[in-house]
Amino acid sequence: MRHYEIMIILDPNIEERAVQPSLEGFLKVVTGSGGKVAKLDIWGKRRLAYQIEKKAEGIYAVADLTAEPDTVRELDRQLNLNEAVLRTKVLRPEHR
Amino acid sequence: MAKPPIRKPKKKVCVFCQERIAYVDYKDTGLLRKYISDRGKIRARRVTGNCTRHQRDVATAIKNAREMALLPYTSTAR
Repeated sequence: MRHYEIMIILDPNIEERAVQPSLEGFLKVVTGSGGKVAKLDIWGKRRLAYQIEKKAEGIYAVADLTAEPDTVRELDRQLNLNEAVLRTKVLRPEHR
Repeated sequence: MAKPPIRKPKKKVCVFCQERIAYVDYKDTGLLRKYISDRGKIRARRVTGNCTRHQRDVATAIKNAREMALLPYTSTAR
């Protein structure tokens, strides 16, 4: 098990109250295979420094979790398949 | 003979070593903004005064932040 930090940028046009459930839905992959989600931090709408897919804003969220590498790879794959997700970043904070 | 005045450059100490910051977070845009120019370029070590290790950490953090659109790749301030 490793500690990961995942940042997700979501489409700004999805409803504000749909954000939390949809993210929790994504993270079910982690909890379903023995991992733990330590923290889910939703920043809310934020201006992008440059346009992504012609959008000037994005909904930012950061999740702190411990999981197996394969699980995280699967989570990242599923996120990138979803059209509401503009961008993701998986990072291991302790690893340099 | 008038000698040109020799400027002794003031030795800068790396802020991160001083503050004992082990991890430079790419999410902390307020901090990282101090290390980019108004054009969006990463400031050189001779400007920031960072040590080798922390300059590299700052540079990677800025690059990560750029990927996530937290910081600009370029900005035309004029």
